[in-house]
Amino acid sequence: MTSVADSIATDPVVTERKQRPTWGRIGTYVAGFAIGIWILAPIYFLFSMAFTTQEEVRSYPKGVWPFIPFSTDTMRFFLEADGVLSGLFNSVAVAVITLVLSTAIAAPAGYAISRYLFPGRDIFRLGILAVRAFPIVVLSIPLAVLFIRTGMFDSVFSLALMHTALALPTSILIIASVFASVPYELEEAGQVFGASSWQSFRHIVLPLVIPGIAASSVFTFVLSWNEVFAASILTLENRTLPALLLNQLSQSSDAYQFAGGFFLMVPSLIFMFFIRKYLFNMWGQVSK
Amino acid sequence: MRITLLMADITRQKRKRNFTPYMLIAPAILFLAAFFAYPMVQGLILAVYDDEANLPILDEASLAADQVAKLPQGTSVDILGQQGNTIEGEITNDLLTEQWFRVTATDPSGETLDGWAPETRIRIRSEAEDGTPLTGTVRAVLGADADPLTSLRAEPSERAEVVGQVEARETVDITGVAVLEVWFNVRAVDAGGSSVEGWAPSRFIRAFSSGEEGRVDRGTDGEFTTRFISKMVDDRFFGPAWRTTLLLMAIILPLQFMLALVMALVIHARIKATSMFLYVFSLPMGMSDLAVGILFFSIFTGNGLLNSILEGLGLIDDPKLFLSADTRNWIIAAIVLAELWRATSIVMVIVVSGLQAIPDETLEAAELFGASYWQRVRYIMLPLLKPSLQVALILRTILAFQVFAVVIALGGGEIVTVLANETYRQYFFLRDNNVASAYALFILLLSLGSSFFYLRTVRSQGELAKS
Repeated sequence: MTSVADSIATDPVVTERKQRPTWGRIGTYVAGFAIGIWILAPIYFLFSMAFTTQEEVRSYPKGVWPFIPFSTDTMRFFLEADGVLSGLFNSVAVAVITLVLSTAIAAPAGYAISRYLFPGRDIFRLGILAVRAFPIVVLSIPLAVLFIRTGMFDSVFSLALMHTALALPTSILIIASVFASVPYELEEAGQVFGASSWQSFRHIVLPLVIPGIAASSVFTFVLSWNEVFAASILTLENRTLPALLLNQLSQSSDAYQFAGGFFLMVPSLIFMFFIRKYLFNMWGQVSK
Repeated sequence: MRITLLMADITRQKRKRNFTPYMLIAPAILFLAAFFAYPMVQGLILAVYDDEANLPILDEASLAADQVAKLPQGTSVDILGQQGNTIEGEITNDLLTEQWFRVTATDPSGETLDGWAPETRIRIRSEAEDGTPLTGTVRAVLGADADPLTSLRAEPSERAEVVGQVEARETVDITGVAVLEVWFNVRAVDAGGSSVEGWAPSRFIRAFSSGEEGRVDRGTDGEFTTRFISKMVDDRFFGPAWRTTLLLMAIILPLQFMLALVMALVIHARIKATSMFLYVFSLPMGMSDLAVGILFFSIFTGNGLLNSILEGLGLIDDPKLFLSADTRNWIIAAIVLAELWRATSIVMVIVVSGLQAIPDETLEAAELFGASYWQRVRYIMLPLLKPSLQVALILRTILAFQVFAVVIALGGGEIVTVLANETYRQYFFLRDNNVASAYALFILLLSLGSSFFYLRTVRSQGELAKS
């Protein structure tokens, strides 16, 4: 499937509908901006709360347009709080391990289901789709029991194993759709001109799929970074940032929560920017 | 000739490829089997299988002894006596133990004896630097009918052969120490109503402070039971949890699909700002529910954005408490808004990719025949979007059953509670894996049930044609 965002981004003028009456386009813009404000305003407010003084966070009223003095006070307070730095470190570690593991496992599987017709392929695909229907709450508790029994409880690595299991089905389907978007004829053409199958994969396919696989890895990273439920069940001392925040929620100040919320959001903001071209590759394909 | 060669080449290539795809998907299958299928099955078993249901009672204080009866977990028992036994199984900190000392002593006739005596009969007099006892004296036994002599035994066990007896206050050399697990001699009424008596390791029995009575803490024999499920159903949070979960879904899903459709139509209109709109609209997709919970907490909290705006506009004089125990409906409203904010993007993306699949010609033809924009949406796009909407509906419903951190962040998890939150509470605060698993099982059944329901009811012609 062609990437929709791609075509939109490259030549918007050509694809634009010319017959559409102007008032219709104005309506579209109005709706777009209204929804845009609905999405951006809360983010702006939280970020302004994360970068201000603690007094300002406590103050009331803040005015219709929160007039916020910029300060790193809240942020410093949060970063100096107990467990936050190690929580950040754990979160990064879990997310990176998850990213590496799930990409390493999903890439070959994705390649296989997009390039080969083999008996069992449809069952595999269906199985993977079905796996996504199982709620993670069912997984966490038996895994916790298993990890306690085997002495793997409360470790960054075992949490990453769990996150990999969560990310794997989607990763496989995304990577499969990325490979499927590179025509097999290209690979064949390479072989016709004398390249071995590895060479034509290495020099023709790989450069074309690297961005898509990177997007899938980013998706994995964000999934692991965001995951709260399993993280709070499978860790105790080595809490990741979301698990730590969730645990501190009832006994922490607003400033602490807002700064924590900021940290949870930053990766997703950055990564959404990088993967937005692949959104439809990822979810459009996955949902079919 | 050349053609047949080519054919042979192709078939050889095909045969060569046969195993490659299986090798490529093998790691994924193995990983999913270990960390998805296995825990899934385990989780379901936890909900209906009690592996600590019954405690076997033995006729002697030894694991090799014959079984006399089984006592269900929680049975009250009379503790008649205790005895040390070699520790079998894992050693835990709270294990009830007794020590036996290997001593050399002189008996009344002057003969030197080498044997074992329990810690109750030996008083330690001197110890080495590391705490190892070196010498001791035999304790005096009080009571009129007590045996004034202390027996030394061949093994550290009450059942072992007596090698000799020593008098009280005799000095002994301690040459060895054995740590034994205490076994209780218990008498109880079993499930059948008959009185039984026998031995069981003390680790399975919680003795009350009197030391003469206790309760079966856990057993070693499992059985299938509906106990956990009925415990879940009787839980005071169960009713509110499933009702709130379904209420939230009933409110959120229709609003969400309408909003997603509007967003998708804005994207699909292919105006100049589309790629910017697409980025902004899809921003919430990558955000965790906890972050979004905190985000909406910052808006609805007492000195938050909403109160500030309302006061700035002169609508209220004092900040209104939205997220308190008396404002349950406001908390639900906040959760609805947070979920709308967070999870609509994914529906939008699915709907947009569904819209892309509709041929432009179809819409242009409709336009040519005078269909208004609304008519095109209603009679052409929506029917053709059915498969996409079905997928989005299934995905969203499954995710809606797992709403968790938003609820905790906005309502603390007590005033408004949902099923996933109860799973967490049972596991984390009440330490009850089985009831937590029963909740998880319930969520799983609801997810599967609703997916099945959607698949059956929202089936469309287009989908049938495609498949």
